[in-house]
Amino acid sequence: MKAFLTLVFLLLSSSIYATEQAEQLFNQLKPSLYQIKLIDKASGEKSSIGSGFQISADGIIATNYHVISSYALHPKKYRIEYLDSQGNKGDLSLQRVDVINDLALVSRTSQPDMPYFKLSKTTPQKGEQLFSLGNPHDLGMIVVPGTYNGLKKESFNDRIHFTGSINSGMSGGPVVNKQAEVVGVNVATSGNAIGFLVPHDKLVTLYKAFLTTAQGSIEEQMSEQLLANQEKLMSEILNSPWQAKQLGKQAIIPIIDVPFIRCWGDSNADKADALILTAIANCSLDENTYISSRFFTGSMEIEFRTMNAKNIGANKFYQLYQQQIAHAGASNRAGKDNVTEYQCHHDLVKPENNAINNKSIFCTRAYKKFPNLFDILYLSASIDKNKEALVSHFTVAGINQENSLAFTRKFMEAVSWK
Amino acid sequence: MEIKAISPQSMTMQNIATKETIPELIIEEVSKNYKLLHRHRLTKENIHIGRDYHNDVILADPHICPSHLSIEFIDGKWKIIDHQTVNGTFIENVKHKKHAANQYIIQDGDIITLGKSQLRMVFNNHQVSPTLAFSPFESFIDLMRHPIALFLSILLFTIVAGGVFYFNKPTEVNFSQLLVPAIGMTLGFTIWPAGVSLVSHLSKHDARVMTQLGVSFAFFNLMWFSDILETIVTFNSASNAILPMIIMLISIALAFSLFWLNSYIGFHMSARRRIIIAASITGLLFGGSYLVRYSNKPEFNPRPQYDATIMMPNFLVAPSSSVDSFIEDSSKLFDKTSKEAQKK
Repeated sequence: MKAFLTLVFLLLSSSIYATEQAEQLFNQLKPSLYQIKLIDKASGEKSSIGSGFQISADGIIATNYHVISSYALHPKKYRIEYLDSQGNKGDLSLQRVDVINDLALVSRTSQPDMPYFKLSKTTPQKGEQLFSLGNPHDLGMIVVPGTYNGLKKESFNDRIHFTGSINSGMSGGPVVNKQAEVVGVNVATSGNAIGFLVPHDKLVTLYKAFLTTAQGSIEEQMSEQLLANQEKLMSEILNSPWQAKQLGKQAIIPIIDVPFIRCWGDSNADKADALILTAIANCSLDENTYISSRFFTGSMEIEFRTMNAKNIGANKFYQLYQQQIAHAGASNRAGKDNVTEYQCHHDLVKPENNAINNKSIFCTRAYKKFPNLFDILYLSASIDKNKEALVSHFTVAGINQENSLAFTRKFMEAVSWK
Repeated sequence: MEIKAISPQSMTMQNIATKETIPELIIEEVSKNYKLLHRHRLTKENIHIGRDYHNDVILADPHICPSHLSIEFIDGKWKIIDHQTVNGTFIENVKHKKHAANQYIIQDGDIITLGKSQLRMVFNNHQVSPTLAFSPFESFIDLMRHPIALFLSILLFTIVAGGVFYFNKPTEVNFSQLLVPAIGMTLGFTIWPAGVSLVSHLSKHDARVMTQLGVSFAFFNLMWFSDILETIVTFNSASNAILPMIIMLISIALAFSLFWLNSYIGFHMSARRRIIIAASITGLLFGGSYLVRYSNKPEFNPRPQYDATIMMPNFLVAPSSSVDSFIEDSSKLFDKTSKEAQKK
């Protein structure tokens, strides 16, 4: 009984301690926290909200790119406004963006002795308690305690896995350790207290670049970053081992052995009345670079599908097979303002090893604002077996011509029959 | 045989003989667009035209006076005398514009207007158009109308329709499930020849239902065939190939021929007119379906439009390209889309 009481007391005291600490931190940091609003000039009302925090004495405020994305793309339509803890308002000007890591730097008019956040020099330990700050749903500034759970393994660009409730509107808010040093920036949530943060070192890099190098226009910065990111991604993919794996009874497909491409599988083996036995392997890059609410890029999807006719003739099999491949679409969202319509080329193609004969389709569309970036789509259907088929398909968003062709070539040569 | 050959000749001679003694005038009542309504052959020197019942040509048009005009044969010529009518009598021919017809000497083929009616004056030596020969399609039409041929082509159509349903159904189907859509489709396609027959019946021509059915189904079957041909050619060719386009022309030509034959069977009209009608229906069909597709086309399509035609290996005749040439051809798309992107 005594032991139990001690335990309860211990738990109680530690939770009281945590609450006190959070409150203390919050009061200490409050003056450098901002709510960031995008004001639509024509209506004078806010069109989106987020959070931000000051990182230098001269008024540089960090936030998420996606908080101010509408301004970055349509600077004439909006202005950026801040609201500080005392209720003061003022205009902000956009300085730098890092579209890959969803960061942006904005600046306010500087005043003497403005407090600001210090960026941590170390990464947290797994399990370390962190505090996320922000203004969820325009409800006022809050502090949310949570736990550091390392970097998300599957993501190509690092994200911290944070166990704690991050809600919309907190985007762009800082996450600090007990020493009140910034270790990350709120960026996304996948519900149920799973949150994602941009690691602080990305912010450090962006801030250093801002201080040292000259800056192009926001569009040029984005274009440069997107090109550099796809170059980095594709060189890693093209240089990593592609393992040949068997799919279904006869097909050989490549599995790209990198942690950030994850595969899932499915088949209809349980459906007794299906006319065609289908097995699907689907691999995708769990990455979606936000450009605007109607334009995402950076995603990649690979799909293989084997089909075996059960009790039907070749003619019917091919008819149904054709229906399966007739409606491929892009994996990323993009509209008329951002991309052209797709242009396609199709042909009958047999790789040099003669292992398969395909009808292959290659489609591409160009980005209107970012030169030399494209979305590509490839779809290939085997046409050399009467009652068996292999469909190989991929889409890549935001890739340049050279990498597109190199990837397509390597992919085409890696798909075959056993 | 000989007697028959001679008899028309002797009749002509008789005609010439009568012409010298008694004058003869043929008066045709024609509609606004010169369709023949009634024909009167009059062999007297004084012809009376009007609304009341003592006239030689009685017209019911209320705008015509009871005793409207008379035509008199004087010195071998026909002369119009208008009886000071309320609405007048007018003459219209190639040489003259419409003008009052009183005291006018009639020429062969003149059209006179009285009230709201029109009369054409024709002399008995009026030149008629040459005899129309039977079209070379006649034997084809005769063959297609034959009950056995008709039955076979409808059967073939139904079988192909059933086959199309069978091939496209992703689940297992039994025979009776195919029968309903196949017969339904056949009945649906029967509407066209039946409709043409109905129209020709209503426009006082022969309905010729069997012939219309036979010819139409023969062409429907040819259209199935051209569809299959088009699929095979598309399957075997790469992007931008010309051959599939040419094959598409076949189906247009088939549609034109069908409509031409429909109007040949159903209606009497000049060859030129028949071509115009067949061409307009073809244009309406293909142009209309193009317009529908064009108007449904969204301003921006986020999905790629590609040709996904595949067929079983037996239909594969073209050699395959290498990966290199495919990559090479695909690389051209980047320039094309980049140019498109720069356009504002």
